[in-house]
Amino acid sequence: MLDNNEIVSGLILELRRGTLIMSVLSQLKEPMYGYSLVKKLHDNGIQIEANTLYPLMRRLESQGLLVSEWDTGESKPRKYYKITENGLDVYEKIKKHWFEFSNSINNLLEE
Amino acid sequence: MNNNLIERYIYAVTKMLPANIQKDVSQEIRGLIDDMLCERCGDVVPSEKDIRVVLTELGSPKELAEKYDTSVKNCLIGPPYFVTYKYVLKIVLICVGIGILSSMIATIIKGFEDFDNMQVMLQNVNFWTDLFANIFTNLIVGLIFGFAFVTLLFAIFYHKDIKIGNEKLDNLPPLPKKELSKIDSILGIAFSVAVAVVFIAVPQIFFVVLNGNKIIPIFNISEVQSVWYLVVIFALLGIVRETVKLIEKQYSKKVMITTIIADVFSAVIAAFWLFNENIINKNFVAEITNIFDDNKLIAIFSQFNYFFFGCIMLALTIDVIVTVVKTIKNRD
Repeated sequence: MLDNNEIVSGLILELRRGTLIMSVLSQLKEPMYGYSLVKKLHDNGIQIEANTLYPLMRRLESQGLLVSEWDTGESKPRKYYKITENGLDVYEKIKKHWFEFSNSINNLLEE
Repeated sequence: MNNNLIERYIYAVTKMLPANIQKDVSQEIRGLIDDMLCERCGDVVPSEKDIRVVLTELGSPKELAEKYDTSVKNCLIGPPYFVTYKYVLKIVLICVGIGILSSMIATIIKGFEDFDNMQVMLQNVNFWTDLFANIFTNLIVGLIFGFAFVTLLFAIFYHKDIKIGNEKLDNLPPLPKKELSKIDSILGIAFSVAVAVVFIAVPQIFFVVLNGNKIIPIFNISEVQSVWYLVVIFALLGIVRETVKLIEKQYSKKVMITTIIADVFSAVIAAFWLFNENIINKNFVAEITNIFDDNKLIAIFSQFNYFFFGCIMLALTIDVIVTVVKTIKNRD
């Protein structure tokens, strides 16, 4: 038998999984490198581990939602990610859906 | 040493990844570790302890590599085939084991014939060392071969299935009017394995006893053993046919097509095997035709290989017809 804490943390994980991509897309209108995005999300109360975010951004790039470029000009080479046109389109759609969806859920929860 | 630890970590992660992304990912992780160390230590040179903390935070190399690996079905045999795989594997291995062990018993029984009395046989060291060496090699080879074949078969089923992609509602199989009997399939597999083991290990157990004490093998032992691969293919076709039935659980199009293909190939193999005059023991034909007066019986036994082939063809034809009829019935 799982105790309640385990069930709750499992559910939180499920909830976060779907919203992380949205959070990532929302922040990449300007190019950012992975670790700076980890910190920025962190500052905004979204906890994401670097070991989750880096593979995630790579996956989004392979789906054509992000595009990356190595910047070797600075002291250490960094890979900058930016949202693509296609990614922007997806982001706008999913954002709209999120607002509608979260409204409905909030209504249900506040009954 | 410290940098070495980081490089060793990166290497451990990337070596598990596809070659085309290894370089990029290693640069990426190197940058990330550097950023995390800067965050932790500022301008101070990180100690080995800091490095260890950061690497631990990133997770074990295996965990990190798994997160980078995007291939969907990255295992050899996964659900829903894995359960049936284990099941069929068990049946095949058990049958191979039992088959080979019983061939040992058959050899011992035959030993009673070859030696004048049991005492001599029991004391003959060569007989026993040969016997056990033979059984041991047969067992190892048989089990490994069985394991390899079943695994390969299911790996193909599993990975071929991916390409079929999303199933449309209309393609859902109908409720079976009658589920295929699991026992029948198991017996089918057991029979295939048993036939193969017997023909490879102890073809001499097919014999007739004439005039009370003359033991005459039906087959030409060395000829049978020299074409062992035909027998193996014959058995493998049987295993494929029954395994598809076990997976499908009803007479479906897949079952019908596999059965037809497997039976046609079985017929071809049987033809290769039996259209060879030498496969039957010449003494057997000579002795057996002597004792009959009836010309029909003489005809049958003097052409015993063709007679045997006819029996196999009959069985295969009945199997195909039954399968086709039942598949059509199951559809209506």
